[in-house]
Amino acid sequence: MNSRMKRRDFLKLAASLPLGYAVSRLGSELQQKPQNILIVVFDAFSAYNISTYGYERQTTPNISRLLQKAIVYHNHYAGGNFTTPGTASLLTGVLPWTHRAFQPKGEVIDAFTSQNIFSMFPEHYRIAYTHNGWANILLNQMAGHIDELIQREKLLLSAFDSVVPTLFRHDEDIASVSWARAMKTEDDGFAYSLFLSRLSEELQARTLRSLKSVYPRGIPTSGADSGFLLETAMDHLVKRLNAIPKPFMGYFHFLPPHDPYNTHRDFVDAFRSDGYKPIEKPVDLFAKRVFKQLPEKRRQYDEYILYCDREFNRLFEFLESSGVLKDTWLVLTSDHGELNERGISGHSTDAMYEPVVRIPLVIFEPGRTSRLDVHERTSAIDIVSTLASIVTQKTPSWGEGHMIPPFGAPEEMNSRNIYVVRANYNDRLAPLTVASTVLVKESYKFHYYFGYSNVPGDGLVKLFDVQADPEEMTDLAQTKKSTADELLHELRTKLSEVDEPYR
Amino acid sequence: MAQSITFVSRRYTTRSLWSLFLMCAFPLHVWTITLVLRDVSWVAERTNVWDAIGVGAYGLLFTFIESCAVFLVFALLGLILPSKWTADKRISFLILLVMILSIWGIISQLLFLWNINLPPFLIQLLARSGRPLVGLYLISLALVVPSVILPVFQFIRSSRMEKVLLDFVDRLSPLVMTYLVLDAAGLIVVLIRNFS
Repeated sequence: MNSRMKRRDFLKLAASLPLGYAVSRLGSELQQKPQNILIVVFDAFSAYNISTYGYERQTTPNISRLLQKAIVYHNHYAGGNFTTPGTASLLTGVLPWTHRAFQPKGEVIDAFTSQNIFSMFPEHYRIAYTHNGWANILLNQMAGHIDELIQREKLLLSAFDSVVPTLFRHDEDIASVSWARAMKTEDDGFAYSLFLSRLSEELQARTLRSLKSVYPRGIPTSGADSGFLLETAMDHLVKRLNAIPKPFMGYFHFLPPHDPYNTHRDFVDAFRSDGYKPIEKPVDLFAKRVFKQLPEKRRQYDEYILYCDREFNRLFEFLESSGVLKDTWLVLTSDHGELNERGISGHSTDAMYEPVVRIPLVIFEPGRTSRLDVHERTSAIDIVSTLASIVTQKTPSWGEGHMIPPFGAPEEMNSRNIYVVRANYNDRLAPLTVASTVLVKESYKFHYYFGYSNVPGDGLVKLFDVQADPEEMTDLAQTKKSTADELLHELRTKLSEVDEPYR
Repeated sequence: MAQSITFVSRRYTTRSLWSLFLMCAFPLHVWTITLVLRDVSWVAERTNVWDAIGVGAYGLLFTFIESCAVFLVFALLGLILPSKWTADKRISFLILLVMILSIWGIISQLLFLWNINLPPFLIQLLARSGRPLVGLYLISLALVVPSVILPVFQFIRSSRMEKVLLDFVDRLSPLVMTYLVLDAAGLIVVLIRNFS
């Protein structure tokens, strides 16, 4: 953890100067024409399950092919491990302990309603959409800086279901959950409503009957709506990109491969007989109930990723054939990952293992003809700073992120700390007393859990060398105690710093 | 317009319509409140207690609307009953129908809630029949039809059932009024959540 520059570092920096100059020249040439930005987010898209990042299953055949002309980030971390903190960090460029949207369906503090990715591009036509109700809360908070915020319900299947979120716009999430509990019997077989639920389901079934065969596991849904089709959302995106003024800045946050894993029939059972056997991992302390069907869950999740892969390819082909891509920075990423191991399924977990926090980041740079692999550690909070610097030559004054390679210096990345935060039981405007935190530094990933009833007084620490042990199988907290202590001290110092305004 | 009002007032009194509404609201509220209480813990665990209250509040609001819808349907249905029937007889007959249908509605959902499956021999029998769905419908009809016809027959044959039903309404009314107060509280919660 020596922060002094070594001779080798100096030589590396010196060698990178001409490259930096070339990049800055290329940057200034590209600046002459206003450039578009398009951020595509697939929800709960774990880097762990993506073949490009080394997963054994070929879950992303199309994306892998497209990456031959992209910058691929191999060690990219979300800000949190579920929608609200993850999305808020991506949109604001700060960590959850700063934007404070760390509770389910939480909101960022007022400052970030005007300090966010949209506010950094006032000259662009800013357009946004999400299927995800919790992400939509954040977009609504930032609506003052968005020229076109597409209504979430607009791309849902049932117009009937869209009445409730439209009517209860300020409480959309809970109103939709209650509506689903009142009217949907298909999941559980029972609902609050005795008669209208049957009537509503029958009407809906008539509408959706033709789609049932296309989605044998069920229509893609968030669980609180009647469903949506990724194809429809992609088509709408394409239609709007054709119509809106340029330059544009688009943020499109699609729900797949978020559970339930209702993939298209073309991918159902695609991996059923592939012989893949996930690594056996011990059941974690935070596994509230042990899921026995985890390999099955994982397979269905992987098959759902295939659907995202195909739809992303379709979008890419449109962007390429229409010529939009040559003036567009296209970013593919996620808000958080997904976990189907250690007795845990999904991402509603206090655990912070790699599959739930490491996410994909791919940047398709205008004019790029070759692939560049970046192995430096990056964070979701870097995206605002990086895109703003590249496209507008401005950096957000409030941002906590860095310019990432190849646009920023790799050395800077190596010496920095990456944090991931989950604090969904903590009061929003109070010091963090119940949280799961991660500090990634050099090759180490340090987990620190505190305030939970099942965790001992001082908290639980885990230390993994994620470079040598990417599966996080060997906890080094005892064998490398001095490193663990040092990282714990560093993390606690950081926590006390971020808690200061809330004491 | 005046003719329509006369047509309705000859068949119903305000009190009888109110009784019908209460009896439409009763089973729907019992079921909703049962399930809301069941859901409170997981919603509170996933988000917080205020959201759990919110889910319940919306649930009650939707149930109130459903009660109104069911009441309207049955009130309209009552208009085609024999005109010589008194308002009390008409209402108690409609209440009987509401209760039977609600009981079956609840049973059909309880089967899933309690995870009750058909006996294995019946499943095998249905599977062997080649048309299991038709068989299932026939079994359902065989259970439901007598449960409707027998009480209706009894109701038409004797006036005792009418009296029993009206007594039942009198006894349950205070309870259902409590449910309606809960609906009002639910509405307040919904308003607070949307306008605060």
